[in-house]
Amino acid sequence: MNLLLSALTIGLILSLLALGVYISFRIFDFADITADGSITLGAAVAAVLITHHVHPLWATLAGALSGGFAGAATALLHVRFRIHPLLSGILVMTALYSMNLHIMGRSNIPLISERTLASVAEQWIGTCRGGSPFINFLGWEIPIRDAAMLAAMFGMITLAGIVLDLFFRTHLGTAMRATGDNAQMMRALGVDTGRMIIIGLIISNSLIALSGALLAQYQGFTDVQMGIGMVVWGLASVIMGESLVRSRQLGLAIMGAIMGSVLFRLLVAIALRWGLNPNDLKLITALFVFAALTSPRLLAWIEKRRRAAKQLN
Amino acid sequence: MLDIKNISVTFSPGLPNELKALRCVTLQIPEGSFAIVIGTNGSGKSTLLNAIAGVFPVDEGCIRLGGTDLTRRPEHWRALRIGRVFQNPFSGTAPNMTVAENLALAAQRGRARGLGLALNRQTRNLIRNRLENLKMGLENRLDTPIGSLSGGQRQAITLLMATWNKPSLLLLDEHTAALDPQSAAQIVQLTNEIVQHNQITTLMVSHSMAQVAAFGSRVVMMHQGEIIHDVSGPSKQRLRAEDLLAIFEEVRRGDQLDPSAAELLRQRYV
Repeated sequence: MNLLLSALTIGLILSLLALGVYISFRIFDFADITADGSITLGAAVAAVLITHHVHPLWATLAGALSGGFAGAATALLHVRFRIHPLLSGILVMTALYSMNLHIMGRSNIPLISERTLASVAEQWIGTCRGGSPFINFLGWEIPIRDAAMLAAMFGMITLAGIVLDLFFRTHLGTAMRATGDNAQMMRALGVDTGRMIIIGLIISNSLIALSGALLAQYQGFTDVQMGIGMVVWGLASVIMGESLVRSRQLGLAIMGAIMGSVLFRLLVAIALRWGLNPNDLKLITALFVFAALTSPRLLAWIEKRRRAAKQLN
Repeated sequence: MLDIKNISVTFSPGLPNELKALRCVTLQIPEGSFAIVIGTNGSGKSTLLNAIAGVFPVDEGCIRLGGTDLTRRPEHWRALRIGRVFQNPFSGTAPNMTVAENLALAAQRGRARGLGLALNRQTRNLIRNRLENLKMGLENRLDTPIGSLSGGQRQAITLLMATWNKPSLLLLDEHTAALDPQSAAQIVQLTNEIVQHNQITTLMVSHSMAQVAAFGSRVVMMHQGEIIHDVSGPSKQRLRAEDLLAIFEEVRRGDQLDPSAAELLRQRYV
């Protein structure tokens, strides 16, 4: 039960990562791999502020904001200096590795004994319900800390999803979606498409850094290596979400990314429980994305072969 | 009024494949007039339109529209006053967005794109009304992704988008060339209606001699990056498709002579 609970919570936290990846990869068609750096940046900034006794809420917000700067840097490299999107992301991500070490001052910051959002949520629910450190949910005894965090994340991610859906229906939001769909048309309609990309990557990387800040507080530490492979992880969640909802409609796609992230995390937790070597996790995630990217073509090819065979008969 | 003075554009300058796409082109289009640009492939027609729209900067010269100097302005800045329809029907609309969303984006041209909802009831009604005028039944397909419409329908919508808020200049780059004859005729008629009704200053590139003879008050013929004929007024009204073909033939024959040989002949015989 605790395994399920923690998988759900981490899945929800990482769904912010999935939403960020959805914005850059799907809405802007911009293969932004800054995420590997900005998720750690958010975690690093939040952790340092928390160890300096800043209220965890402000620390989390500052972490998200720092991700926005990282996104702006990548977008500016591409828009102003005409560097290929992928390379822009690689440059910023690489630079961020050093920056994160500087911010943290060492490679790992433990947060277990600090006042984090997780401990605040625990306290809050604890005072509401009095004494017991456990909560009874459908007959299971669940630690209040885990239950509180899960509830808080659920509320927050629902809110984030609704706000994003509304945002992408505004004048600015539709202009951003159209920039990803047909940039030539948007320039012909008087829109500075470079600016749309900058705003888009700021939003995307803020969400990703927010995800990092929350993840650090939930797992109880920030590590400078925690960002490695996160883009692929987010992409896997997005792809899984797309196969779940099978719709390109905006609201459903956002919901899909969230559900994909949770489901992916659950599958991984189950696989680890069954004895999957954790060292193989990134390899398997990469293989999953590879399979998801190639299978539509493979299926189309098989279908074509079958039809051709039918016609021959 | 569009005022172009001595603009030149060179592609890949200094390289073996250097191409002088426009050579000192000067052209004035008075307010509210409809001019058509014709010419052989590679004569610089599309380059002229793209230079005006700001797709690439000009090497020299200046472009003014209604008294404003556009020469150093970026493409999106100029687009606030210039409407464009492209040759490729897929270029003018966002395929994964709905008909209504595309038109709402166009309706917001020149206004701040803030955090108001793009599609409220009022905008939807306005869009429905304007689509009814097209008489293509598109008013019932507001929420269809544009990618599932035909080329002709998409081009009609692009035309509507380009002229939604009356632009100071409308650039049409062979916008019927990629359509089937029936859709092309429909789009030509629609173009004429919209341009006449709103008195929009228009510059249209065309390959169809019949279109050139039937529309517009002026014909500009380009060749190797220069304007070689400029016919307007009564002589434009008398112009027939055969006359234009004859001019093209003349240009083609001129090309076959080597410039130095032509000079030699001129010195000997003229």
